[in-house]
Amino acid sequence: MGNIVEFRHIDAGYGRIQILSDLSFEVEEGQVYGVIGPNGSGKSTMFNALLGIIRPTAGAIYFDNIDITRTPPHIRCRMGIGRTFQIPRPFEHMSVYENVLIAAVHGTGQSEKKAGYAAIDALKLTGLYEKRELLSGELPLLDRKRLEVARAIGTQPKLLLLDEVAAGLTDAEVKDMMKLVKGLKDSGYSIIWIEHIIQTMLGSTDRLMCMAQGSSVIEGEPQEVINSKTVQTLYLGVDDNE
Amino acid sequence: MLKRKFTPSHVKVLDSPPMLILCIVLAVGLYIGCFAGLISNKAMRYLVQIFLYITMGEMWNLLSGYAGMTSLGQQLYIGLAGYSVAMATSPLFGLPLFGALLLGAGISVVVSLFMSLILFRLEGMYFSIATLVAAEAFCMLFFAWKFVGQGAGMTIRINPYPTLQEICILSMTICVVALALVYGLLRTRVGLGLTAMRDDITSAASVGVNIFSHKLLVYVIAAFFTALAGGIFFVNKGMIYPDSGFGISWTISMVFIAIIGGTGTVSGPIIGAIIYVFLNEKLADYPGWSNIILGTITILVILFLPNGIMGTLQKKLHFEIFSSKRFSFKLKKAAKEK
Repeated sequence: MGNIVEFRHIDAGYGRIQILSDLSFEVEEGQVYGVIGPNGSGKSTMFNALLGIIRPTAGAIYFDNIDITRTPPHIRCRMGIGRTFQIPRPFEHMSVYENVLIAAVHGTGQSEKKAGYAAIDALKLTGLYEKRELLSGELPLLDRKRLEVARAIGTQPKLLLLDEVAAGLTDAEVKDMMKLVKGLKDSGYSIIWIEHIIQTMLGSTDRLMCMAQGSSVIEGEPQEVINSKTVQTLYLGVDDNE
Repeated sequence: MLKRKFTPSHVKVLDSPPMLILCIVLAVGLYIGCFAGLISNKAMRYLVQIFLYITMGEMWNLLSGYAGMTSLGQQLYIGLAGYSVAMATSPLFGLPLFGALLLGAGISVVVSLFMSLILFRLEGMYFSIATLVAAEAFCMLFFAWKFVGQGAGMTIRINPYPTLQEICILSMTICVVALALVYGLLRTRVGLGLTAMRDDITSAASVGVNIFSHKLLVYVIAAFFTALAGGIFFVNKGMIYPDSGFGISWTISMVFIAIIGGTGTVSGPIIGAIIYVFLNEKLADYPGWSNIILGTITILVILFLPNGIMGTLQKKLHFEIFSSKRFSFKLKKAAKEK
């Protein structure tokens, strides 16, 4: 299978502050690709570059073998990149169903009726079907995170970007989330998943990349990456001088 | 886990048949009343104001409440339309009222397209300030322009001058068309996008809503209807000068109407406009105090009823008038019918 995403020597940042420097990686189609790294290592910036919220100053991003470095965000969404927000941002005054409906209408360009059925499917997949007529602003955290995923699925993406969907959840809830992600993988989505909880990543990703200071420091099999000295140093603070 | 039984909805929607019929009956009744001369001149004067302010308030609500563009400079289009009507109907050009109004609205649309090139590069506060500055700039332009009488302004001389009855019917028509358009628009896919933008513009962009085109559409529609309402307002008034055309007081009234009524609801500005017109009439006796009192009311409403009167009522009593809500169970029914 081909690569769904390729980053080629990306430099990017906000204004004059450069965050990503020479970041390169590839994600194969159908993979769950985990990204870890300490705070400020550029994980979210990488997502923003992939989503088109910021423009790289150098390098190129390929999605499905098409250069999308200069494509505006809503076109990227139509092309098949769906995202979740780290802190859920539902349309609070609208029902759960409407939230997903918007994604299905505007993310794909299909008619509202067709989109309605697609939205129902997305809600069933994420386990929100029973709560579809509740106001999304009234949902508890786990369901808000689910809604983020449902909305991303609603846009019928080929690639899902999950930004810390398990952060802030209880252990039991994290298990629910991992099950959900596994279900998504099985239904054929490629996934890039940013997370801090290493145990979660270990259990559910196919490949793992660790970022630090804006570039990829190590990439490979999850077990290997986590056991590597680099990651141990970054996360456990084992200092070279000691 | 929450295992609450699925309730059909947390909201009752009052618009479908009974409410719509009521509105149509009310509108037709007012039309007949106007045509047959059953309504007194005093009442008609109120009605004209109410209709025009509803139109303007509704447009401002669409801009700020839905598309997230808090414009403080919609008076730009009111002034442009007012002056266009004054100039086009003057003996020199001699256009009929209808032509002049449409010309004013057309000019406003062209200007709004041009302004959007500049304004849409800005966001939030910067956008608001820029719209205000643009309106002020036009105000200065008309102050300096000899042809339009500089600071003294122009008297509107339409031949034959429309009667109050005609003005009332015209303003009501525009109001009804504007309301129907807003309501219709919100029920299309564009409306879905706009409602999403109302709640969270970043999320909306991330699910594929084309923010720019939505904003542009709303901005142009708002310019068009605000201009029409403004044009008629000055026909009713009989004269225009730069401060009355491009003054900030227009923005104050639009903001007041939208906030009192409830931003982000279709029914809000209707209530807001009615309250505003009557308050304004009562406060006319205390010239210096009127803005202080309006301001105090606005602050109190923002503090205690942040969703406005209609917004709070709808939330408390669980209903919505002129709703653009989508329901999943409507979908199910459609599936069964197939």
